[in-house]
Amino acid sequence: MTALAPPTAEPRQTGWNSPGWRLLRATCRAQWKGIALGVAVGLTWTAGKVSVPWLVGQAIDLGIEGQDRAEVYRWAALVFVAGLVAATFTGLRRYLAFREARLAEMNIRQRLFAHIQRLHFAYHDRTATGELMSRANTDLQQFQNFVVMIPITISNFVTVAAVTIVLLSIHVTLALLALASLPFVNVLAKRFSQRLHPHVMGIQRESAELATVVEESVAGVRVVKGFGAEEVQKSRLYKEADDVYDESMKASRVRATYLPALELLPNVGLVLVLAYGGHQALAGTITVGHLVAFNAYLVLLIGPLRMLGMVVAMAQRAVAAAERVHEVLAAEPEVTDREGARALPSRRTPPGRGLGEVRFEGVRFGYQAGSGAPVLDGLDLTIPAGTSIALVGPTGCGKTTVARLIPRFYDVEAGSITIDGVDVRDLRLDELRRAVGIVFEDTFLFSDTIRANIAFADPQAPFEQVERAARLAGAHDFIVELPQGYDTEIGERGFSLSGGQRQRIAIARAVLADPRVLILDDATSSVDPTKEHEIRDALGEVMRDRTTIVIAHRPATIALADRVALLDEGRVVDEGTHAELLDRSDRYRAVLAAADRGDSALGAGGDGAAARTDQGARR
Amino acid sequence: MMRGGGGGGHAVSEEDKLDAEQAKWVIRRAAAWLRPYRRQVVASMVLIVTWTFTILAGPYLVRYGIDQGIVPGDAGALNLAVGAYVAVAVISYVVYRAQVMAVARVGEGFLRDLRRRVFDHLQSLSLGFYDKERSGVIVSRMTSDVDSLQELVQMGLLMFVSAALLIVISAAVLFAVSWQLFLVCLVVLPFVVLASIKFQRDSSRAYLTVRDRIGQTLTNLQEGISGVRVIQAFGREDVEVGRFARRNRVLYDAHMDSVKIAAWYLPVIEMAGIGTTAAVILAGGIMATGDGGVTVGDVAFFVLTLSNLFEPLQQLSQLFNTLQSAGAALAKLFGLLDTRPDIREKPGAVELPDDGRVVVDGVSFAYGDGPRVLSGVSLTIEPGEKIALVGPTGAGKSTLAKLIARFYDPVEGSITVGGVDLRDATLRSLRRRIVVVPQEGYLFAGSILENIRIARAEATDAEVEQALRAIGVHERFASLPEGLHTESRERGSRFSAGERQLVSLARAALVDPTVLILDEATSSLDPGTEAVVEHAMERLSRGRTVIVIAHRLTTAERADRIAVVTGGRLAELGTHDELVARGGHYAALHASWAGSLT
Repeated sequence: MTALAPPTAEPRQTGWNSPGWRLLRATCRAQWKGIALGVAVGLTWTAGKVSVPWLVGQAIDLGIEGQDRAEVYRWAALVFVAGLVAATFTGLRRYLAFREARLAEMNIRQRLFAHIQRLHFAYHDRTATGELMSRANTDLQQFQNFVVMIPITISNFVTVAAVTIVLLSIHVTLALLALASLPFVNVLAKRFSQRLHPHVMGIQRESAELATVVEESVAGVRVVKGFGAEEVQKSRLYKEADDVYDESMKASRVRATYLPALELLPNVGLVLVLAYGGHQALAGTITVGHLVAFNAYLVLLIGPLRMLGMVVAMAQRAVAAAERVHEVLAAEPEVTDREGARALPSRRTPPGRGLGEVRFEGVRFGYQAGSGAPVLDGLDLTIPAGTSIALVGPTGCGKTTVARLIPRFYDVEAGSITIDGVDVRDLRLDELRRAVGIVFEDTFLFSDTIRANIAFADPQAPFEQVERAARLAGAHDFIVELPQGYDTEIGERGFSLSGGQRQRIAIARAVLADPRVLILDDATSSVDPTKEHEIRDALGEVMRDRTTIVIAHRPATIALADRVALLDEGRVVDEGTHAELLDRSDRYRAVLAAADRGDSALGAGGDGAAARTDQGARR
Repeated sequence: MMRGGGGGGHAVSEEDKLDAEQAKWVIRRAAAWLRPYRRQVVASMVLIVTWTFTILAGPYLVRYGIDQGIVPGDAGALNLAVGAYVAVAVISYVVYRAQVMAVARVGEGFLRDLRRRVFDHLQSLSLGFYDKERSGVIVSRMTSDVDSLQELVQMGLLMFVSAALLIVISAAVLFAVSWQLFLVCLVVLPFVVLASIKFQRDSSRAYLTVRDRIGQTLTNLQEGISGVRVIQAFGREDVEVGRFARRNRVLYDAHMDSVKIAAWYLPVIEMAGIGTTAAVILAGGIMATGDGGVTVGDVAFFVLTLSNLFEPLQQLSQLFNTLQSAGAALAKLFGLLDTRPDIREKPGAVELPDDGRVVVDGVSFAYGDGPRVLSGVSLTIEPGEKIALVGPTGAGKSTLAKLIARFYDPVEGSITVGGVDLRDATLRSLRRRIVVVPQEGYLFAGSILENIRIARAEATDAEVEQALRAIGVHERFASLPEGLHTESRERGSRFSAGERQLVSLARAALVDPTVLILDEATSSLDPGTEAVVEHAMERLSRGRTVIVIAHRLTTAERADRIAVVTGGRLAELGTHDELVARGGHYAALHASWAGSLT
């Protein structure tokens, strides 16, 4: 169930009004000044470049053939001047073309990133990170490649036109003979590019598959060595190496077919010029200088013609890429501020009650809205301000969903959720999210310092506040023992923490924001059981006088909460204190019994904890 | 992927550059590798040289046609030139085609060989190597290093050889046609060479910067996407967008720096070409209008051939980077191939018997030159006995388990299984008799069936199913929509940690070993799966010698005996009750556990 179209070379919609072309046009319109300047510079380059062969022809005819040294000086000087113009403007042309293309790339990537940041959770649930990455990277690259070509293509086109006119003005028949083969260069170049591209992508794909086998055999080296499975891995790699070889050879075959032909075609023109033009020169209807100029012009045309052919194929790919980029930009964020969204009340009526009351009334919700059985159906639950509640129930009963509806990661289908009497959908989103702190089940930390990770909600937070949050989460002690303490870089290029350590940092991150409502979604599952009781003490501190929702399996953690809500099949089936439920509910006892097994541990965490970290980081 | 606009090709950082001595070594070894391809290499070279000559023949024939045909009015000479031109064009076409295929066959064949041999070697290396090297570095040998060679093979090598040839031959021919005009051309050469050298250096540096910043931008992008839930949860969208804007801008600046380098280099080359044309016309004109022995044809030939002198020069300066990085990559690959595996099979090694008596005798061990991790550990485990290794992190229990599986060899002392020293056993029998189930179940891409079969490649489907039944989890996997053919990596069917663990146990069951080493997971699974995993482990353990690295007290309690390892020594050994009664380390651990229960 991919939400996005797979990358293809062909745009799905064709025509000038397809989304791909529209994005391309919008880009050109936004940057028309820079692109126009690029075109102007390109045309000046064309003028310089095109005049050189003509000037050389004049020098030969009027100077050398005419045995006039003054003419030699004159035309040589003009060649020099034309060269100066062409040289200066070729550099400028390249500079401007790339500037506009990179600018377009940067701007669209920025738009994409900002848009992705605002897209709702359900969109991200449907869409793999890699797919969005490839849109902001590979697809934009294709797009950029084409934008570079816009000013260059226009000046190339004018070059071809100008040369054609010059040649026709010198000698019509000779010009037609010389140019006859050149349109084929264009056609062939286009076809070459189209034929080669799938194989280039194929090589990339096969290389990626080969890399996967290598990565796996390194990551799973303990399995490979433990079972002596080296031969299995070798045969897998051999297959991939063969695939890369086959695909590369296919690409080579395409090259071997087209490159020599592309080389041959201009030679056809040159031969015709020499044969027909030579005899015309013998007959005296054309000068030697013109003959040389014809030769030089043909050589000059080869590059632009090939490029024009490739540009057609590039444009197709760029439009297809732009369409995929557009697809992301066109997705509407579904969770947004309502018109007239309001701030959270800063005091309660009637006065005297604390802040942070959360109330669920008749809540219905399913991840595929409208289809499939809802996850929550008719859920009622009130969590008085400053109290804590543990959500308990079998896997899939909707505990995590309850937690995710409060900060509006998703909107309810029916019913309502209120905080301090205000429907969460009527609150300003930024304010709501600041008021609700959540510790996710899958801990995600950023590649940054520990300090920056804890101060995520408030980067300007003073160090004392960061340290206080870390202490509350039971993270301070291990942080100060790290090589650079709070300034230790973590993540891909930095230090790797164990799963339990990561969870404690995530708790500290949520605590720092000093939220009105705190949600702990299985926040201690990776914490080593022997360490968990330390965190439990700390959590008790964090939860004091704060509305807290705890999702946990371990009875000792559940017991931290003032009350317990037992969930099953999308609704609350029982509610009371831990002791009350233990006493009266068979269901509750059954759920706990499953969790009770193995809730004890020996020694301290092993090396496995570190291995787990890396997996968590990748998720 | 996001190549800099400057087009510097690949580039090498300073520390990776080879000195003359290393370069010689790399070339010698590469030559030895190419020996099987000797004939094709020679054939390719002949084709490349022929092709280069055909390229030069065109302008030469034009000159001949003008000087011998048109100017003296000799139609025969003109027709000869035309005929020869047609022949040359046809030859060029044929040779070019043959040459592209020949180079591809040699190059791609070489790369395939290289990939296979490097991977074979990686497979032969022991765990010690994988512990020392970072996994990213190992993977990059097979990916980015081989890729930079691939780039050389697919584009570079051909261009490099023909560019160099073109320069040399053009220079020689131009010199032969008119040494005076040739000297005129040489005037700009120093400028072009200096500019090319400077360009090569600058663009290489700029490319490294661009590559680095692309990496940073992609990391930022990736985190912004995969961390989007956290970002939204904390209302940090604007801050992250701002942060990304700065990264994006920095990348743009790097791209532009790289473009600027090309933007000044290109005019120099273009000017050199056209400037030389002007100079040739000037000098040629003066000589042709005077007595100087230069013909119109000569001047025309020079004007048409000059591009063969300057364009290849430009190509060479760009290819230099590709060549350098390929050299650096080869050096690293050869270095890897020179690494020797620590664990090798002795000549005349014997089969390990089906006897689960494990004797650890005075074993000491250290990783490389590191401190002793184990010293003087002796322990005898009877066939069918279950022993739990207990102790704090880093005490050496995992190391002891690894030694029993012969992932490493002890520095002192010996380990025997069924009376045979592990160092005297065949590696194959070792892996059949002793199996380690690691803490984390690792799944390879492929179906569940294939994942289990990795333990014993020749096992039939029925045997795999039998293994799953033996640990009581066949139903759990068979009931998936695609049963045992369910792919491990496909979206929507990601397996949980518990399920991965079950696959791991099924692998062990498929091998049916005499000695089983279990590394218990530290973190808890969800309660339902946890029970299934424990049950499967229990069934797998029946009738085997089991060594379990225990993190949970319940596991230790269930073992026949408990060995407490602290500080690399065997501190205590006995049954649960004995050790609790003794009041030592284990008793203390037990007490702290009991105290932590609420």
